[in-house]
Order: sequence, then structure tokens, then C-alpha cells
Amino acid sequence: MADIRDLHLRVPGVRQAWLAFLAAHGLSGFSDAEIASVDSVIGLYDGDRLVGTGAIAGNVLKFIAVDEGDTPGANFNQVVSELQSRLMLAGHSHMMVFTKPQYEASFGHVGFTTLAKTDVGVLLEAGMPGIKQYLTQLPGVGDQAAKHVAAIVMNANPFTRGHRYLVEKAAAENDIVDVFVVSTDRSLFTSAERMQLVQAGLADLKNVRVYPGGDYMVSYATFPAYFLKSGDDVIRYQTTLDARLFRNWVAPTLHITKRYVGEEPKSHTTAIYNDVLAQELPPAVQLIVVPRLTEAGTVVTATQVRQAIAEAQLATVKDFLPPTTWQFIQDHYAELLKRIEKGQNIRGN
Amino acid sequence: MEIKKTALAGTLESSDIQITLSPATAGGIQIDLDSAVASQYGDEIKKVITDTLTGFKIDNALVKAVDKGALDCVIKARTIAAAQRALEQTEPAWEVL
Amino acid sequence: MAETEERLRRTMMFVPGNNPAMLKDAGIYGADSIMFDLEDAVSLKEKDAARDLVYEALQTVDYGNAEKVVRVNGVDTPFYKDDVRAMVKAGIDVIRLPKTETADMIKELVDDVASAETEFGREEGSTHVMAAIESAKGVVNANEIAAASDRMIGIALSAEDYTTDMKTHRYPDGRELEYARNVILHAARAAGIAAFDTVFTNLDDEAGLIRETQFIHQLGYDGKSVINPRQIAVINKVYAPTKAEIQTAQQVIAAIEEAHEKGSGVISLNGQMVDRPVALRAQRVMNLAKASHLVDEEGNYVEE
Repeated sequence: MADIRDLHLRVPGVRQAWLAFLAAHGLSGFSDAEIASVDSVIGLYDGDRLVGTGAIAGNVLKFIAVDEGDTPGANFNQVVSELQSRLMLAGHSHMMVFTKPQYEASFGHVGFTTLAKTDVGVLLEAGMPGIKQYLTQLPGVGDQAAKHVAAIVMNANPFTRGHRYLVEKAAAENDIVDVFVVSTDRSLFTSAERMQLVQAGLADLKNVRVYPGGDYMVSYATFPAYFLKSGDDVIRYQTTLDARLFRNWVAPTLHITKRYVGEEPKSHTTAIYNDVLAQELPPAVQLIVVPRLTEAGTVVTATQVRQAIAEAQLATVKDFLPPTTWQFIQDHYAELLKRIEKGQNIRGN
Repeated sequence: MEIKKTALAGTLESSDIQITLSPATAGGIQIDLDSAVASQYGDEIKKVITDTLTGFKIDNALVKAVDKGALDCVIKARTIAAAQRALEQTEPAWEVL
Repeated sequence: MAETEERLRRTMMFVPGNNPAMLKDAGIYGADSIMFDLEDAVSLKEKDAARDLVYEALQTVDYGNAEKVVRVNGVDTPFYKDDVRAMVKAGIDVIRLPKTETADMIKELVDDVASAETEFGREEGSTHVMAAIESAKGVVNANEIAAASDRMIGIALSAEDYTTDMKTHRYPDGRELEYARNVILHAARAAGIAAFDTVFTNLDDEAGLIRETQFIHQLGYDGKSVINPRQIAVINKVYAPTKAEIQTAQQVIAAIEEAHEKGSGVISLNGQMVDRPVALRAQRVMNLAKASHLVDEEGNYVEE
């Protein structure tokens, strides 16, 4: 039986052998940042021969590659099993993997559930709570079956009157609006702050429910794509996976029939995202693209708000913000500036 | 007894079973079983898991079991380990062993 | 010395305690002893699960006539006490203490075993113990360790840690182990318990395994630790008695039986007195011959 060892990639020889093993299994060309993001890497050894590897990063299994041994699947199962128990020990009881479509069946055999797939990649999950549990345990969603329910997914970095305008329109046109705040923590405003500002800014709308996006409504840009070939269209793969995850699981479980998004005249990637949503969601879910709110002839965007914070020009965006967000920025201005100085990217979304 | 946290025991290797236990407030012991022999032995496997959890006085739990051909004694041992981890008990469960 | 009858211990097969496939099959390879390992073969995060697994396997899996041994975690670990209690409750035959350095460590183990027997209603004295010597200090104290308790059935050399402690490593010719092997063997024989040699780790070197087994057989060891079932037949073959040895043993046993039938107090063969060591040796040869399938049930020699 093969045995598991830790691989410390800071040892040059170990790193080279590992990269060579991955390359021999069709995994190459990914960035150093992708490697740096892993929390631990394991090697499966048959004697002194490396026959498998895998890594964990946050709650994601990554860089899995194995040689087939005497018993088909045994090496794969041993690697996945070890990664799962490490994740569990690190407190990640829910885990995900992004991989090539040809590995979907192997993960299926060890209890993973497919959440979404495209021609080039597939997203699966294991552990608990799974997506059904997560969705059905959201407080208050039990009454949605017989209602007209719409959904909005937003990063809200930070929450502006533009966001509020989109939600108000959806709230007026539907019985219930479920607002999901993206949980990925790589924005100027932390996910807890964003969540708090969205809740505060929508508190008066009685048919609006605000939820954290959990592991399912994250920034699609964080979907690992290191295993794709260099010619593959990464953004289209990531956004398609995101759209299908919403269409196949979130919408049917919560009886959502409409999704509202803001029109995207400026950001190229967000425009692609809206385009993919339009292709993927109907007919099950109707996509409604709402023109952006303008204020004195200017489109209201969170990007401009962050820009104004960085440039100490807060007054120029006061009209973009609901009083709750405005107050928050006033109270935390020094802290926000410090984050920007530390290198927090204020562009992107 | 109330399960405190999600816990896992066992592996995906041959002759083993990987058991994940998760808290539930109602609904009894709900087992989602993946096994190549589920159609013949599924009920037996579930019974071993349920009986073992009952030994811990766990009334409600979500259980995910991925079976790779485990004997009953392995199923029992892995369920015990998962239950103790989920209950955060370190003293061996003498009355359940 | 805990035993009245001599038991064959040519092979003690190591089985990782957290591996269900190997626990399930451990009984089918014909090892004289099976050692379930809760120590080195189990990672820290799986200590609890391995203990549960070995416990349940001992309840249901048929290990035939093999002696069931468990290597618990060391006395200085947080796992030791519960390992001992669980394995006594499970009805293990022998508890093997790793990294034994003093007789007091064995006495402590024996106290823990005795109180576990009381706690779980096992027969008092039914759980035996053995010591693994893995350091210079352990070798130096081997005599006291071997005689530390009448629950002791054996003493084993564990060469990986021992050679590290001696600031060397293992060599193919084994000269670095000469002193330890002799000391441990003498301690065992003086105390009337079994002596187990260390594992042979290179699975691809069968000639080396034969050479090392022949050597420790020559010294007088009861047997060897085994890390792979494939090694069992190789070792057993070295331990198989020759046809001449078997025939002599059969003569000795016949002489003993005849003397008993005649009610004679003196046993002799070929004009020599058959004393106790000769009788025990004959018994051991016949046990080995039967275990090696060299004699049939009537005691006829089986030509290969």
C-alpha cells in the first residue's frame, strides 16, 4: 500500500519533482500565486516513487493527479480521502473541487455531488452542509413555493443607491426578493461589512430578504481554472459555471423565477457575465437587465465610491450612497484608507 | 445527545467506509449512502450506523456514508469515531464499543 | 515468564491499526503472531479511529490460532492509557510496549493492565505483555526488563529507532546490531521468554531476508517481525527443521512415551539420558515440523 507524506514546496527539489509530476499529468502553466495559495500539499508514495498528489486551499481540493496503480482508483481514493480528513481537521466541513470533466465520475464514486459543469471544467462538492441543506436552511425561505420570487446577487463593495434602485425595482415587481451578498473576502469592504450595509440599506423593504452567499454565490473570479489549457476562455468558463450553479440548484430549490442584474456599460468582464447569464438562465429563470441608476448624469457605481475614498474626495459621491453606507464610511474612513495603503485593490468589483 | 459539529471518520480506501456526521435538530437519523452494494446491503449498512448512533443517544443527525466494501465491524468503528469527534468526546465510548 | 507451554513465534506480522483491508485479511497469511499497530503506523489525527477500528476488528474478525498482539502508543503519549484499557477490554492476548527503557515501565504497564482487567471484568492475569527495545538504555536494562513481570512473554529488538539512538543506521550485514541482538536474546533466555528480532525492511531483497533470518535463527531467536505477508513463508522455511532433526525428535518423544508407559523414572536414548532441555527441544522441533507441514497427523515425514 502506498503511503502519504507531506510535500514542502519550499524545498527546491520537492517543488521541482512535484511540478514535473503535475506536468506529466497535463497540469502546467499555472501561476506562482496559484501555488502560493495552497495550505498544504501531500504526496502519495509507493516506496520512493511519487504516484499521486493533491493539495488543499481554503475549503478547495486542488492539484490532484495520480498514477493508476494495481487497483484502479485506489491511489485517487487515498489522496482524496487524506485531503478530506485534513480539510475537516482544519474546520472545513464543506469542501469543493474544480476539475477536468474526465474526473467527474471518479469524484462521484467517492461521494462528491456535481454542482455545475461546462465542456472544460466541473464543480463538485462534498461534506456538510451541502447545497440543498444550505439553501433550505436559509431563514424564511419555506414560504417561497407559491410566490413570485426574484433574486439578486451582489458584491456591494460598498452598497450604493444603485444597488438599492435595483432591489426596489425587483421588490415592486415580485412577491419576494432574495438578495445574496457575495461572500468572497477580497474586496475593500469585508464580507461582514458588505452584508451589514446591504441589510441596513434595505431594512425598510419588507419583502426583501438578505442572505450571505455562502460557498455558492462567491466571486466567480475565484473559481480555480489552473487546470484549463491556455487557449481556454477562462472568464467564460467561470461565469458559465456560476450561472449553471444558480440555474440548477439555487433557483429550483428556492423557487426563484427571475434574476435581476444591473446593465453593464463599463466593465468588460461583468458584461460577459451578463451575457452568459442571458444565455444560461432562461427559460427556467428569466433574466431582467435593469439600466443603471444615474445621478446628475453620472452612472452610480461602487467603483467610483472606492475611488473617491482613495482620493479623499468623499463629498463627490455622497449622493451615490444611502445614509447608512455614508455614515459607515465616515466612521471607518481611516481604516479603509489603511487597507488601500496596504495594497487592497480598489478596482475590479 | 446533540451533535456539536460536523465530523468525519474513515477513508475512501478499499474495505473502509467514510462517515460524515452533521448536526440536525429534527428528522431522526437521516443517512445518505453511496455504495456499490447499496441495493443488496444498503439496509444492513444503515442499520449498523443507526444502531451505533443510538448507542450514543444521538436522536437526530445527518449522515453521509461512502462505502468501499466495509465489514460491519468497520462500519461500527468508523461510526463510533465520527460520533466521538462530532460530540467532541475524547474518553473512549466504553458503553458503545 | 507467563507461559507453561512453548508457543511458536517465528513471525510477528505488523498490521497498521487504521487499515481495514489489512485488518480484515491479517488472519489468512499464517503468521504465528499478529501485531496490530496503534503507534508508528497511525498518524496523530487518526489515533482515536485506529483504536476503535482494532477494537471492533478483534470482536468479529477470525484470526485463527494466531497470537493477537497490539502495539500501544508509548507511556509518554496522551493515547497510552486509553489504548491499554481499550485493548484489555477487547481481550487482546499481548500488549507490546514500545520504547521500553526500564523495568519500571513494564511494571507500570502491568499495573495498568491489571486495573483494566478488573474494570472490564477480564480474567485476572489473562493479558500478557512484551517489551520492544528501541534504545541503548533499553539494551543496557534488558535483563531487568525481561524479568520485570510474570506477565512478560517476550522481548523484541526494534532496530530503526535503536540504530538512530546509536548514531548509526542499518547496514545489510547487520553488524551494528550484534551487541543488541545478543543482549536481548540472553535477557529473554535467562527470563524464560521469547526473543523477537527486528523487521527486515527491504521487500525487494529476498536473499537478504533469508540471510538475516538464517543468522538470527542460528543465534537462537524465536522469530522475526514481519512487515509484509510475503515474508512469512520465507522466514518459516528457514525455521523448518531438517529431516534428520525431525527423526531425532521423533525418537526422543518415542523414548519419553515409552518410559511413561513403563512407569520408568529415567528416560534414555542411545545410551544417553534424555533430560529436560533435550525433551523441550524435541517438542519444539515437532511443533515446527507440524507448522511447516513436514509431518502428517500421524507423525510421518512428508517428502517435499
